[in-house]
Formats: sequence, C-alpha cells, structure tokens
Amino acid sequence: MDSLSALLDGFGHVLTPMNLLIALLGVTIGTAVGVLPGIGPAMTVALLLPVTHGMEPAQALILFAGIFYGGMYGGSTTSILLNTPGESSSVVTAIEGNKMAKAGRAAQALATAAIGSFVAGTIATLLLVLVAPPVVSFAVSLGAPDYFAVMLLAFVAVTAVLGASRIRGFASLLLGLVIGVIGIDQTGQQRLTLGLPQLADGIDVVVVAVGIFAVGEALWIAARLRRRAGEVIPVGQPWMGRQDWRRSWKPWLRGTALGFPFGAVPAGGAEIPTFLSYVTEKKLSRHPEEFGRGAIEGVAGPEAANNASAAGTLVPMLALGLPTNATAAVMLAGFQQYGIQPGPLLFTRESALVWTLIASLFVGNLMLLVLNLPLAPAWARLLRIPRPYLYAGIVFFASMGAYAVNAQPFDLFLLLTLGLLGFGMRRFGLPILPLVVGVILGPRAELQGRRALQLSGGELHGLVGGWVSWLVYAVIVVVLAWPLLARFVVRPLRERSVTA
Amino acid sequence: MTGASTRPDRDGDPPSRPPGVPEIPAQPGPTPAGEPLDAVPPGAGPSAGEARPDRAQYAVCVFLAVLGALVLVDAGRIGQALNAADPIGPKPVPMLLGALLLVVAAVYAVDVYRGGAGEPEGGEDVDLSSPIDWRTVLLLIAAFVVNAVLIEPLGWVISGALLFWGSAFALGNRHHVRNLVIAVALSLITFYAFAIGLGVNLPAGVLQGIL
Amino acid sequence: MTILVGYVPSPLGEAALRAAIEQARLRGEEVLVLNTSRGDAYVDPRLAGEPDLDRVVRELVAAGVPHEIRQLVRGRDAAEEIVELATTTDVSLVVIGVRHRTPVGKLIMGSTAQEILLRAPCPVLAVKAD
Repeated sequence: MDSLSALLDGFGHVLTPMNLLIALLGVTIGTAVGVLPGIGPAMTVALLLPVTHGMEPAQALILFAGIFYGGMYGGSTTSILLNTPGESSSVVTAIEGNKMAKAGRAAQALATAAIGSFVAGTIATLLLVLVAPPVVSFAVSLGAPDYFAVMLLAFVAVTAVLGASRIRGFASLLLGLVIGVIGIDQTGQQRLTLGLPQLADGIDVVVVAVGIFAVGEALWIAARLRRRAGEVIPVGQPWMGRQDWRRSWKPWLRGTALGFPFGAVPAGGAEIPTFLSYVTEKKLSRHPEEFGRGAIEGVAGPEAANNASAAGTLVPMLALGLPTNATAAVMLAGFQQYGIQPGPLLFTRESALVWTLIASLFVGNLMLLVLNLPLAPAWARLLRIPRPYLYAGIVFFASMGAYAVNAQPFDLFLLLTLGLLGFGMRRFGLPILPLVVGVILGPRAELQGRRALQLSGGELHGLVGGWVSWLVYAVIVVVLAWPLLARFVVRPLRERSVTA
Repeated sequence: MTGASTRPDRDGDPPSRPPGVPEIPAQPGPTPAGEPLDAVPPGAGPSAGEARPDRAQYAVCVFLAVLGALVLVDAGRIGQALNAADPIGPKPVPMLLGALLLVVAAVYAVDVYRGGAGEPEGGEDVDLSSPIDWRTVLLLIAAFVVNAVLIEPLGWVISGALLFWGSAFALGNRHHVRNLVIAVALSLITFYAFAIGLGVNLPAGVLQGIL
Repeated sequence: MTILVGYVPSPLGEAALRAAIEQARLRGEEVLVLNTSRGDAYVDPRLAGEPDLDRVVRELVAAGVPHEIRQLVRGRDAAEEIVELATTTDVSLVVIGVRHRTPVGKLIMGSTAQEILLRAPCPVLAVKAD
C-alpha cells in the first residue's frame, strides 16, 4: 500500500504543534462562517488567499481544508436552531432539524448532525484516499486532447447542469473565459490589456475571486438588506439516547454513500445528494409519520450526505485539477498562487503536500466534532453580530486582500469593477460559479487545446484523441440534453416529495 | 430599506398573536432623517415586481454584445505570430470567444423577448421583495473609493478604518462612536497581524515610524 | 391616557413591566407594552419570543389592566421608537428599565435610557432590576 505509507507521512507532517494550531484555526473560522448565513466558505477562502501568501503552501492548504469542512458543520447548527440554513447544502437539514428543536429535541438534532458529519467525513476521506490514486494513474496516461475534452466537460457541466437558465450560465462562463484571456499570451502578444501595464500579467485570480464572491455579494446584500431578527431555540449540551443512536447510524452510512459520488462528479454538488438522502430516509423509515414533525433520520442522513460530498469534491480537485464547486474553485486558485500546477501530476510532484492536506482532513474532522458537540450554544451567539458589521467587515477584508496581492491601488479599482460585475450578475440571475471556473480553467484549456492542435499541425481533428476524448464528448452531449430529462423526470419527483 | 410590521415574520409562518391581544395596524411613522424607509408595505413587494417584464435585462444583452465586439476588435489587432511550435497562435481563442459572446447576446435577447427572466440571487440576508436601495449601494461604493484613493498617502490604518466606518454607516448603523472604536481597532489589529506579522503588503502611510 | 413601557425579556424588562402595571392601577390608565429590535442581527435577545409575550399577557390579564402589545422591527433604535410613540400617541408616562453603565461603556455603546430621559415629551419612570 503505497498511498497508506504516504498518508502516514502526511500525518507526520500535520501532527506538529504549528500545523495543528493552523488546522484548529481553520476549523474554527470555518464553523464561524458556516454559522453566519451571509458568508460562506468560498468567500472566506477567497478573502484569506492574499493574507496567506506568506505562509507555507501546506499550511495554507491545511487552513483552507479546515474552513471547507468547518463550513459544512456550522451550516447545520444554524439550520437546526434558527431554521436559517447557513449554507445551501444544509437547507434539507432545516426541514426536520428545526422541527426537532421546536419539539425540545435540539440537543439530539445537533448531536446526530455533528456525529453524522464526523462519521461521513471520515469515511468519505478514506474513500478519497482509496479512489484518488487510481484516478491519478489513469489520468496521467491521458494526452492533451483528452484533457481538453475533460475541461470542456467541466465547462459544460457547471454551466448547463447548475442553475435555472442555460443561456445565463453560458453568458457567465464566457465572461469568465474573457477575463482569463486578459494579459500577455505565451507568444508575447498583448490580449485585451487595453494598453494598461497593470493588466499585462493578467488579472490575478485572487482579485477575481474576492471581487466576485466578496465585494459583489456585499454590494448585492447591501442593496436589499433584510431587517429581521429571529430567536435561537435554547439548547444545552448536545447528546443522544440509545434510541437516537439506533435510528441514526444507518442514515449516516446511506447519506455517505449518496454524498461521496455526487461530490466527485462535476457539478454534482451537495444539494442533490442531501435531498436524495432525505427522500430515501423518508421512504425507508419505520416512522414515516414523524417526517415533517422532526424525524431524526431526516437530520442524520442529509448531514452525512452533505459532508461526504465535500470530501468527494476533493477527488476531481486533487486528482484532475477540476473544481466542481465554488470552494474547490477558490482553493485551486490558492494552488496557483503558490505556483503549484493542479492536475494529475500533483500527486507525484507535490506528493508530501497532497498527503499532508488529506491527513489534515482527518485531524480537522476530529477537531470539528470536539468543537461542535460541546460548543453549539456558543456558536449560536455569533448570530447576534449586527449585519452592518458583518458586511462592513467583508468589504474591509476584501480591500485589504486585493491591495496586498500586488501593493497597487489599481487593484482596488479592479476589485470594485469586478464587484459591480458580481452585483449585476446577481441582480440579473447570472450564476457565479461558471465565471469563476472559466477564469481558472480557461487558460489551462487553451493551453491544452493549443498543444493538441500543435500535434496535428493546426487541423481540428487534433482535438479528438483516444477513446477517452470520444467518451467525454459523448458525456458532454448527454449533459447538454440533461435539462430535458430534468424537466420531465427529476423536477416532478422533487415537487411531489417537497409538498408531501 | 425596511418594512414596518407589528410582528417580525418568523420562519415564514403567518404571525400569530398571543390571546387577548387586539390586532394592531402597522405603524408607518415619519422617517427620521438619513434613514430611508421605502414605501413598500409588507407583502406587497413580490407581486409588484413580477407584474411587469424586466426590461433592464436587455442592458445585459447589450453589455455582452459590446464586450464581444471589443474582444473581436482586440483579437483582430493581434498580429499572427505563427511558428511551427504553435500553429494556431494567440488569435483564434479570443476570436472564438468574441463570436460566442455575440451569439449568446442574441440568444439572451430572444430569451428576454419571450419573457425569460433571470431569478435574482436569493439569500438569507436578501429581501427580494424590496426594491434595490441605491443609496446604500452608492454610499458603500463611495467608502470603497475613498479607501482606494487614500490607502497610499494616509496608510492602511487610517484608510481602512474609514472604510469600515463608512461601510457600517452606509449599511445603516448609526452608533458612530462605537463604530469608530471598532474600525480603528480592526485596522490596527490587521496591520500588526498581517503587515508586520505575516509580511503582507500594507502601507503605513503618514503613520510610518509611529506604528 | 396610556402608560408606555419598553419591554425586554430580562429581569430588567420584567421589573419595568411590573412598575407600569402598578402605575396603571393607581392612575386608572391602560398599558402599552412595546418590544422593539433594530432587526440588524440574525438573533436579538432583546426581541421577545412567543413564550415571553404570553407571560406578559398573563401578567397583564391577572392584574386586570387594559393593555395593548406592540412589537416593532424596522431598523430603528429602541430610544427612537419609544420617543416617537410617546410623541404621536396619548402617552402620560414612559416606564423603562435602567442599569449601570461605565462612562466608557456609555461612550461606546450609547445609552438608550439617557436618550429617552432627555427626549421624551412626558415624565419618564426609570426602574432598576430587583
């Protein structure tokens, strides 16, 4: 077992006092932003990219991984206690979780969410250890045309599968690709720099991520700030009785089985598996009458699915360099910041880094269990922060980070421009993820495409390589036809079970 | 910015009242200076928004088309630097993107004409039933620009504090003294932690030598 | 004429409510209970929940005082809301709870009680928690 010894080495790197401290910091920040509805892990990692510039790459990644996993935990706390999902992936948790809390079973709901997240996170991270190396060894054998096809698939997947409107998704993707083109090309030609010397190196991915996620979001929320206060349901120490354990462990495992593969598929995300898990548990439950009135299975399953899909997301991210959700996209931007090329060669070139990151996931998961079981009521107090401070803080950190990238005020104006773009996209319902994926993958796709055409002397048939590219192109066709299937199969199903 | 209500709307359930309490009408009340109160009665927002088609969407099509044209013009300017190692060069990709932008702009316009509407992004803190509060947005942008202009002459500690204070003001917080204390504390902490601790590039400005 | 009481679900608020009920019985007036929050934060401990309001109603009914309860969440400070209500309606007395604040605390946090004391158009009764 080659990967096992590499993993043990990774644990060796993580278990230093400094790295443990960073992991703790990461999961703490992650839980906090998960709890706060206005700010998510993608935005947080984006805000932290510039200030971690001076850190060791491994430490920064440990921090980001902690935030990623922590955000999943924190979101469930708010769902259960406030009926306010902190993240879109914990929407389903709120259905039963808040009902349980209102019935005086908040402690059990929090406990099954936290323990279920831990179980699912640990199993799914183990699956990551098992699945990633074979994927890598397969991916290494691929040529430029295959890569180009895989990246096209990623574009099509995030654009066509997610979101309500495909045309708006493609508009967003094209905006991202155009931003990615800006700068001096490998041949020395200036492209879209408008004669500005500051644009010669292109727009820093960090500035794009911060502008679109943080500034755009803050402006959009400021425009329509809600004024409403809720009440937190008081809760003691989370705990579970024997009966709760008996009813929780199967949903945890089933949720994990659903969540991991969906996370690993481009554009799978966490929303679909959490929803599927909810429906499954409802169908299999011996107490179907409790669903809608606070069934513990309806919290245990979706929470496990949610965390397992987070781990699943890391498979394409680490093995292929493909981001399948916003947080993974921003973390890839973090790799690029350190000059690390994501892709299949990551596991061989940066072996120590990757395994340290994976080991830190196990450690962070354990820390999260310890942080969240006894401290859930304390986390809920975070919700007393007035919204103006929250969003003023986001604008503050965004400006600081964007300036710090190149130490030039020009970047602040660029940040504002991108923030206004993000604002406009939110106003007109253009999804954000395709743009970010376009910015990150665009230049790499162009490189692979040009490499592929170089072999064929510029003839288009160069874009079709081995059977893999054929297969991927076929999948792209299916993905493009998917909305039709969704309209006639998935959506009626979903509506039926939501209203039921 | 706000709608008046006698009871906060919790969980989206219709507000229930304790027994024995008569129904009290909403209190519109005069608006204090500097605190705009949009004249949207609770519940009246969404239907008013859906009634008329969202014509502003055509601006998005125009934006995409103009961007596409710009990309094409810029790509046309690129000289074709062909060599054996790179047979396609830097030109085709922007050409393709520019053309696709024009196509997407056209399809988008057709979609809008047929009544297609993008769903504005929701969120826990986003009240889609209220109209866009441009005053808050412009104040926030102003605070942002002030920071961008002042960051090098005055330094991060001063410009950052102004940014936080201005943003909190823009977002409707009126505890001026408290906000200033928080703003100064935040910018000092970030300066010491990041600029001096982690070596992040933040200018000291006029406070050079004092900090 | 009405007695306006600024209510928060805490010992301070309960003390203010009791004082308001006492005054209402002495004067033969009705009580207007106001609970308000800026609605700035996701959660505001000063916003009374359903059980709190039920308790308030029970107390008022037990005392046999005519009453009215209002809860306002519209982005304005408690002092603003109370002063405005006292000005626009027929209020004879405002009852509020007060607690100690250090000078620095007052500078940073501001003082709702001081605002009301200085700006209310009618007498103000300031009550401490027991």
